Amino acid sequence: MRDLVRVAWAVAAKDLRIEWRTKTALLSALVFAILVLAILYVARDPTAVSALDIAPGALWVTFSFAAMVGLNRAFLLEQENHAFDGVLLTGASPTAVFIGKLLANLVFVGTVEAVGLPLFVLFYDVPVFARLPQLLMVTAMATLAFVAVGTVLSAMAVRTRFAELMLPVLLLPFLVPPVVGAVQVTARILAGRPMSEMMGWLQLLAAFDIAFCTLAILLFEATLDE
Amino acid sequence: MAPLVRLHVEAAARRFGYRSVFRDVSLTVSEGEVLCLIGPNGAGKTTLLKVLAGLLKPTKGTVTRKGRVGMVSHHPMVYGALTGRENLEFFRRLSVDVPSSRIGELLKGLSLEHYADERARNYSQGLLQRLSIARALLADPEILLLDEPTSGLDDPSTQAVLQLLADLRSRGRAVVLVTHNFDRVATVATTVGFLVKGALCTLPPDASLAPDDVVRHYRSLLADA
Repeated sequence: MRDLVRVAWAVAAKDLRIEWRTKTALLSALVFAILVLAILYVARDPTAVSALDIAPGALWVTFSFAAMVGLNRAFLLEQENHAFDGVLLTGASPTAVFIGKLLANLVFVGTVEAVGLPLFVLFYDVPVFARLPQLLMVTAMATLAFVAVGTVLSAMAVRTRFAELMLPVLLLPFLVPPVVGAVQVTARILAGRPMSEMMGWLQLLAAFDIAFCTLAILLFEATLDE
Repeated sequence: MAPLVRLHVEAAARRFGYRSVFRDVSLTVSEGEVLCLIGPNGAGKTTLLKVLAGLLKPTKGTVTRKGRVGMVSHHPMVYGALTGRENLEFFRRLSVDVPSSRIGELLKGLSLEHYADERARNYSQGLLQRLSIARALLADPEILLLDEPTSGLDDPSTQAVLQLLADLRSRGRAVVLVTHNFDRVATVATTVGFLVKGALCTLPPDASLAPDDVVRHYRSLLADA
């Protein structure tokens, strides 16, 4: 267990250190998030659709697609100089390496979401402050689901010729269930509905988290052989 | 007492789709042995080395390793955005029981001290190769797999690497060394294998390892293939 934590922490810290130095993926994801939020807001006809009606969809389209930028980068940086072979040669547990990559991706996507959420409030003028804990909870649950599956698919896609195109193609079908759940819960949170109305969707999101994390951990090792 | 067998390969084969890279390869490398693998481009030497390292699974056959594995390949297997020292520190943290003092020893031993805090992306090819060797030696592995370890190195660095190989051999490490230039590494080789058209042929134990004899044997194998 100590070895797992030590390796996972080392991998996550290394990924975040590299991203902090280069900032390429983070800047791309942030610019992308701002653009999507702004375009969806401007494209809306305010006389026909209220901001509150499209806000949940806009939020989750923004978060999930911006996350893809980061997920693409997760294993591309391992391709440079075949550094990932060096990681495997240390004999570190693939599960620990996966958890490290997952942690780094969660921090990355969390950072994009932390910047995106205030912008979302600014553009859509939605009443989130009283409901911030619920919104953060659903954000965390949905993010964990699609980042877990995105991390393992990123490891698979990186070995293909068109890695950056392949990841969205592979990831989108898996992205739909948690994002649909997140949109449903977010819509109810923003409308001020009671928690009891969201329990079904929250349970579904929790089930996706458990299923996707377990599958990702079990499948990760199989993605490592060429 | 017979030296401990560190690496044992039994009838291993590797394919990529329909393309066979090598077939029916069997070999044994014991402590203190330096197996020098020679073969033309595309013969499958690098793939064989990856299979020996455990980075690739053999399609058929078995590979048994007794001990930790260090590998130097054409790719330095380090992160360009990290400094040399940070790279070694990262790989040290992934390994088991490697003291942090080991990093200083390796940086000094491979004359990398002055470049240790520069990003690996700015290293010359020779410096990257030395950093790659340092990474491979970090956990003091019992088995070392080296793919052209002297490529890109100047003469003093090449001599330093050969001296290092001689030290490793005398310390009982099992080494598999891929090279195109047997002359350079002849002094450290204890066995020679030829990988030609996916088949491995090793010189008998009593065969001469003089560079001229080895090269003559290799050319005759190529002519027969």
